[in-house]
Amino acid sequence: MTVPAFFFYLFSAVAVASAFMVIAGRNPVHSVLWLILTFVNAAGLFLLIGAEFLAMILVVVYVGAVAVLFLFVVMMLDVDFAELREGFLQYLPIGALVGLVFLVELVLVVGTWAVGPGIASAIKAPIPNASQVTNTEAIGRVLYTTYVHYFQIAGLVLLVAMIGAIVLTLHHRVNVKRQNISSQNARTRDTAIEVVKVKTGEGI
Amino acid sequence: MIGLPHYLTVAAILFTLGILGIFLNRKNVIVILMSVELILLAVNINLVSFSAFLNDIVGQIFALLVLTVAAAEAAIGLAILVVFFRNRGSIAVEDINAMKG
Amino acid sequence: MTLNSLMPVLPELVVVIGAMLLLMLGVFRGEGSTPIVEVGALVVIAIAAVLIFMQPSAPAELFGGSIVIDAFARFFKILILIGAAAALVMSMPFWRNHKLNRFEFSVVVLLSVAGMMVMVSARDLIALYLGIELMSLALYVIAAIDRENVRSTEAGLKYFVLGALSSGMLLYGASLVYGFTGTVSFAGIAAAAKSPSTGLVFGIVFLFAGLAFKVSAVPFHMWTPDVYEGAPTPVTAFFAAAPKVAAIALFVRVAVSAFPNIALSWQQIIVFISIASMVLGAFAAIGQKNIKRLLAYSSIGHVGFALVGLAPGTAEGVSGVLIYMTIYLAMTLGTFAVVIAMRRDGGQIEEIDQLAGLSRTQPVMAFVLAALLFSLAGIPPLAGFFAKFYVFLAAIQGKFYALAVIGVLASVVGAYYYLRIVKIMYIDEPAQRFLPMPRAVAFVLALSGAFTILFFVYPGPLVAAADAAAKSLF
Repeated sequence: MTVPAFFFYLFSAVAVASAFMVIAGRNPVHSVLWLILTFVNAAGLFLLIGAEFLAMILVVVYVGAVAVLFLFVVMMLDVDFAELREGFLQYLPIGALVGLVFLVELVLVVGTWAVGPGIASAIKAPIPNASQVTNTEAIGRVLYTTYVHYFQIAGLVLLVAMIGAIVLTLHHRVNVKRQNISSQNARTRDTAIEVVKVKTGEGI
Repeated sequence: MIGLPHYLTVAAILFTLGILGIFLNRKNVIVILMSVELILLAVNINLVSFSAFLNDIVGQIFALLVLTVAAAEAAIGLAILVVFFRNRGSIAVEDINAMKG
Repeated sequence: MTLNSLMPVLPELVVVIGAMLLLMLGVFRGEGSTPIVEVGALVVIAIAAVLIFMQPSAPAELFGGSIVIDAFARFFKILILIGAAAALVMSMPFWRNHKLNRFEFSVVVLLSVAGMMVMVSARDLIALYLGIELMSLALYVIAAIDRENVRSTEAGLKYFVLGALSSGMLLYGASLVYGFTGTVSFAGIAAAAKSPSTGLVFGIVFLFAGLAFKVSAVPFHMWTPDVYEGAPTPVTAFFAAAPKVAAIALFVRVAVSAFPNIALSWQQIIVFISIASMVLGAFAAIGQKNIKRLLAYSSIGHVGFALVGLAPGTAEGVSGVLIYMTIYLAMTLGTFAVVIAMRRDGGQIEEIDQLAGLSRTQPVMAFVLAALLFSLAGIPPLAGFFAKFYVFLAAIQGKFYALAVIGVLASVVGAYYYLRIVKIMYIDEPAQRFLPMPRAVAFVLALSGAFTILFFVYPGPLVAAADAAAKSLF
């Protein structure tokens, strides 16, 4: 077996196995960790194909941001593991059967892929020769020119996500004392100090 | 030789696992959210493989955008889950039952 | 890409930039900025609508053909903007009464409108996906926006899970279509689809499955009753109006522009979905006690009727769909105006039985609601009858006789639950009075009622506009 083939089978096997453990694991924290392993192996597959920019972005965004976010939320929700009910096993036989049939059908379909006659003319943006142009540059050549509108709409999607997260989860705590630096710095002698004349023997 | 069908098969397996994860899962909603991420990962593998074997960069652009949207979706999904948890106190799938019929 | 070349998307730019400016306004002015932001959102929508009216009728293609501004897109954008404006107007008194004053609601609605505008203009798979996701993410947020309420957050969660699943399926289908045709643009797919391979058909099935979810057609309708019931009522009104219209527009464009040569394959799918939706919408609503759930099932049925117009795949059919969606929008907004007005001192009322005797306590509201219900049932001479007439006519012209017959039968069965509400209003003993309708809500109800009742007098402009829009697609 050649080296690329070996790595392909290694990455795919680990990716599939960890994906299975994501859905079959008992503990949500373990599930998130298995998900991270799946992502890393998928990034490995991307490297084998030659899409190294996407592989790195997968690691940075999916593992570095999304998976960490999942972990934060799992920790924050403080789920009581002992209470997690068992229900997975009763549906497993029928579910696995349906899943297997579905999978076999999909594989039969995608296995028949062949470059059709019309396809070569349909390609709008061929990938430039990899020895001259890196994958990153190839993507950069089109992303901000031909496809800039997609870029902007994706930015709007992220804006909506940000607004949504704030609207839904931000709680202004009213009884927490906060510093207001500008008003602290704006104190003058008149507002800060009050001189009171006290008669001997009396309090304020 | 590792050809396109190999990569597409891996993607198909991940897609199936994601779908199964959503329907078979009875434990908690976080696993459902992670299954959605698996589905989107399967789509990304599909797109990048097609892009490489068709020699067309559009697939990778599509995959990049799917990645972006998947991250945004994960953020919103977790925010909604947190709000739901604050109200209901549980994330077990059986407890999502305030409305019936 | 000069400023001049961006002119055709000026309405979208106005909506997006307006949303961002209003967001900044709300953030920096803090509490109490909600009224200004709401009015600002309405102004932005008005400006965008005027700009769309002023656009020339010749189609314009942008960004290498991925966004197209043709009469079809402009027709639907106007409908979407009307739906969004009405939902915003109706939401203002609702939020006041519920002490839920989030200025972000208006901003998120504007951003979802921007997503919808991208959706109806999309001519390739990437724009389609981005438009759908922009719209959907915004909708998930506003479904759960009443965050202290269990039902609202549960609605948000259910909508999110099922929506994300359907987006995943749609995307898998899109990736297969891309892989087996080599292009993402609809024109390219149509050219390559002359001899479809199995992979392409699989891709189409997944793609249509995802789109059917967005439109809430059977068998992907499960989310609709729970989400409509749980979300705050003005949000439900918005859900039933604008996103449905946008999703149907997208469905029609994908079916007609991207897959014309394999019409035989998708026509069968559309016929099946349409029959199933009409029948389910007719039967499942019968036992409902909650008016929002009933309207959810009713909207599923209406989507079925609208898809009858799509089945023949002709320009007349598409024109019928456009007319149907316009009339559906008017009827839905009016009905939801009444639902928002169902309020007593204790809070919102949602049970249908509480409408008893409305003809005696609030006769004008009862009369307009009765007209809307008759129209929803499809009884002449109200607008709903004409809507069904046009789609069934197109189906018969396309030789889909069985579809038309089933449609009429489903219509008759479905009329039962609409008429039952009219009976409750006019014949049953009066329940306690509702609080007086807020002026904003009454305004929307009056407009919708006037359109529904008086449509038969002057249907010409709408039919002509729909015909022109449908022809621009072929």
